[in-house]
Amino acid sequence: MDTPFTDKIESADVAKMPAEYQTLLKRVLAIQADCEIGGPHLYVRSILPDAPTKVDRLIVARTAAEEADHYRKVARLAGEVGEDVSALLSRPNRERYVNAFRGTITSWEDFAVFGFLIDRVGRYQLEEFIGCSYAPLERLLPDVINEELGHIDYGHTKTAEFAARGGRDKERIQGVIDAWYPKALDMFGNTGSRRSERYRHWGLKRRTNAQAREEYMREVDPLIRAMGLTVPDPTVGREFV
Amino acid sequence: MNARALDEHLEAMVLALHAAVNRAMPHVKDDPALVDQALRDCEEILEVILDGDVAGWLA
Repeated sequence: MDTPFTDKIESADVAKMPAEYQTLLKRVLAIQADCEIGGPHLYVRSILPDAPTKVDRLIVARTAAEEADHYRKVARLAGEVGEDVSALLSRPNRERYVNAFRGTITSWEDFAVFGFLIDRVGRYQLEEFIGCSYAPLERLLPDVINEELGHIDYGHTKTAEFAARGGRDKERIQGVIDAWYPKALDMFGNTGSRRSERYRHWGLKRRTNAQAREEYMREVDPLIRAMGLTVPDPTVGREFV
Repeated sequence: MNARALDEHLEAMVLALHAAVNRAMPHVKDDPALVDQALRDCEEILEVILDGDVAGWLA
């Protein structure tokens, strides 16, 4: 890779930056906003009314509130650079940028694994921006990442509870892991993505898609095994490799 | 689209959601009516957010 851009850019400077920087910044903000509000669209209407306990229902509501707030914060940044992402609030799931957000979550097991696997990818996506060239984006990271850690921990705990019950519950949660794992890996994008290189060139991301995906697998695979579950074949069911 | 106005409107809705959750959580075992009302409030607020009628909010 050529020498990466290391300056820190504020919103007032963006208009002076090359067109490629502006395009990539607006794109990454739009995708991040889409993913933040895409989560609640997956589960609020289907899961919130029927979660197992009232505490679980309140936690689903709090999770959705935090994701909506993450959307708000990213949407504000996008607006500051002239990118209107308000339409993403009500975009149909099938039109979401990322495949993992294009369906619906209809079971409590899916909600648990979504937190365990997909919110964890969300944390990786946010960590890409640590030290990034767009200073306003870096400034919002600590609070947002901290809240995502709570979602991941809750999903991990619930997934482990299902696995620990054994029998059919364990089989069901294995099936849900098998379904979400390839979607999680795909969220990192194509290994040879040229756009990924340009993000890195402009200091908007730190790692290649493949590096981030490999780090994710090194983190999550042992957690799956520790629950007594099987790590799915990472080449099966993939859209991007 | 007025980005600042949307930001303020959304922030108010998020704060209302957190208030409902925080009001209910300590009373899960001793006040089911309060918890049920808070959950209904959460569902209603989230429905408004996910409907995303930004033009209507800011009119």
